[in-house]
Amino acid sequence: MKNSSLWIVLHKMRMPAIVIILTYTISIIGLLLIDGVDDQGNIYKMSIFDAFYFITYTASTIGFGETPYEFTYSQKIWVTFCIYFTVIGWFYGFGALVSLLQNKMLIDEVSKLKFRWQVNSIKRKFIIILGFNYVTSEILKKVIDSDIRSVVIEQDENKANNLILENYTPTVPILIADAKDQNSLFSAGIKNSNCKAVVSLFDDDELNLTVAVKSKLINKKVALAVKSSSSNHTENLQDINVDIIVNTFEIMAKELKMAINAPHLLKLEKWLYKIDKLDARVPSIPKGKYLICGYGRLGKHIYKVLKHEDIELQFIEINENMAKNLSQEEKEIITFANADDKKVQIMADIRNTKAILAFTNNNTVNLSIIATAKKLNPDIITMAREESVDDFSIFSIADIDYLFIPSKIMFNKTINALLNPLSDIFISSFVDQHEIWAQKLIRKLIETIDNDPLIYELEINKYDSPQIYRALFHKKEVSLEIFTTSLYNRKHKNNVMPLLLIRNGERFMLPDWNIKLELEDKILFACDKNAKSDIEYIAQNAYEFQYALTGEEKKLFTGFIK
Amino acid sequence: MNLDKIIAGFFIILAMTINFGFFYGEMDSLETHSKYELFAAIIINVIATTLKLGDKTQIGSVLLATSLVADIQLISAALIWTVAEYAYTIDVEIASIIISLSGGALLANLTSVALYVGETVRSKR
Repeated sequence: MKNSSLWIVLHKMRMPAIVIILTYTISIIGLLLIDGVDDQGNIYKMSIFDAFYFITYTASTIGFGETPYEFTYSQKIWVTFCIYFTVIGWFYGFGALVSLLQNKMLIDEVSKLKFRWQVNSIKRKFIIILGFNYVTSEILKKVIDSDIRSVVIEQDENKANNLILENYTPTVPILIADAKDQNSLFSAGIKNSNCKAVVSLFDDDELNLTVAVKSKLINKKVALAVKSSSSNHTENLQDINVDIIVNTFEIMAKELKMAINAPHLLKLEKWLYKIDKLDARVPSIPKGKYLICGYGRLGKHIYKVLKHEDIELQFIEINENMAKNLSQEEKEIITFANADDKKVQIMADIRNTKAILAFTNNNTVNLSIIATAKKLNPDIITMAREESVDDFSIFSIADIDYLFIPSKIMFNKTINALLNPLSDIFISSFVDQHEIWAQKLIRKLIETIDNDPLIYELEINKYDSPQIYRALFHKKEVSLEIFTTSLYNRKHKNNVMPLLLIRNGERFMLPDWNIKLELEDKILFACDKNAKSDIEYIAQNAYEFQYALTGEEKKLFTGFIK
Repeated sequence: MNLDKIIAGFFIILAMTINFGFFYGEMDSLETHSKYELFAAIIINVIATTLKLGDKTQIGSVLLATSLVADIQLISAALIWTVAEYAYTIDVEIASIIISLSGGALLANLTSVALYVGETVRSKR
């Protein structure tokens, strides 16, 4: 029995309850013993019920008067005594009982029970989100939109109240507890078979690691989306098989590399994250000298990614304590100074610098760095990092060429990996492709579909695609091409393109239409609305599948006619 | 020696003995059964029940359950008696219902006492 506070409360109820019982009993016995007189002057002994009735309304101070007959003086003396006795007993006992019911421990225990009950009544897929903040609230909205339920654990009561005020539909159960505690994970239903994922995006790496280890030990099947901010932690997380590791700094460095080397790849990624359309403008960043302000975790990742590129890197870091752990190679390119200082920027040869990257973790400093740099070199390309976004971003009106918002990046990556796992794999597979590959793919996507194709993921299994599963099970050959068939007319093709096929863990980028399907293939399509609905029909409806495969309408009762 | 244990044991056994006092007599007439004894039995049983509230041990929960059974039986006996007295007549059937209800409660009391004694015997201190 874990919920001991309930027992403590019950235990504390003993005294008030006994006080009430005893005061009642003594008063009732007194009334039973004392003789009364009825309206005709005969001796009348009160019955037990009479006495109980009288004491009940006297103790609770309702006071109906003297029943059944007017009291004699000896009765009145006893009743006077009783009134003080029972009323005080009643107030003490009743007050204590009520205050026990309002006991914080008891209320917490009851709300935990309610939470557990709510979680267990979820019959759909759900995910557990730890901590409620800007990023997780955005994730929550997206998840609800895609018809997946969620459960939140948050330690801070005020933040929890914010969630309650949001009034999500369907309800998002919230538990006010420490996410590190395995009991709260158990209460949140991590062992339930329909719990699909745990999202832990705390800023504290240690906390994330603790949650990840515990969750994996409790339930191996549950997918984990965990934030990491250093390569060291990323390795730790990989060791325990965390499925989705969100390292915003690594992603930012990679995006930066893509923006420099292959802007079209970045455009593809933005399209998959549903930020931009495929025909959006692609700004190019000329190579040359880059001045990067801040050499913390982000700076290190940028250095790692860009050091082999054809770019002259120059870092400025304000904190001189950082110098201790740096290699000789790194020391050569880092200046320890205040990047916001005009003189420092002139010293760093800002006039011949192609781009300035204000990547410190302070918004004001970043804005100020950009402003100073623009004054000194009006043609400079500006990039800035914006921490802690709220609804309104001051950076968006500051006319900055590239804005990197870690929380947005974290949100995009997490939500994409959770809801469209194949698209996430696709992105991670194409990061090292060339610019030409990306340009070709984008042109082809726009030609065959449109400038903002939908993403559709299909798995060949019993639930997602029963028809194909059955056909393959009976050793029929079905090729990928079946999904292009237009159900309006079989001879026409729908606007659809396969982007990725995963078979036994192997990735086939842009698979050929003639590839034969196998059981448990996972396919990522880019398509339009019509094609998506046709693919769903072909995969699930026996008649449509038959038509797409053979061109014949499937007949009822074929078995009887033969 | 523990004062709590003494008080709890006292009330458990007293609940049984008083209940027996009420129950003992003819089965179909209330003449040999005093209403004051029923009243006392109810009070003592309710006190015995409250004394077991919040006991986390296995035996404590079972004791609570048995005395709740006794409470319900005795209180319903009193209710039937009151209703019959004021709004109906007490015939042989009503009388036997009241007495057999208290007999049921007596069985629950016996179980309580048996469990209580059993636990005491098992304990090493």
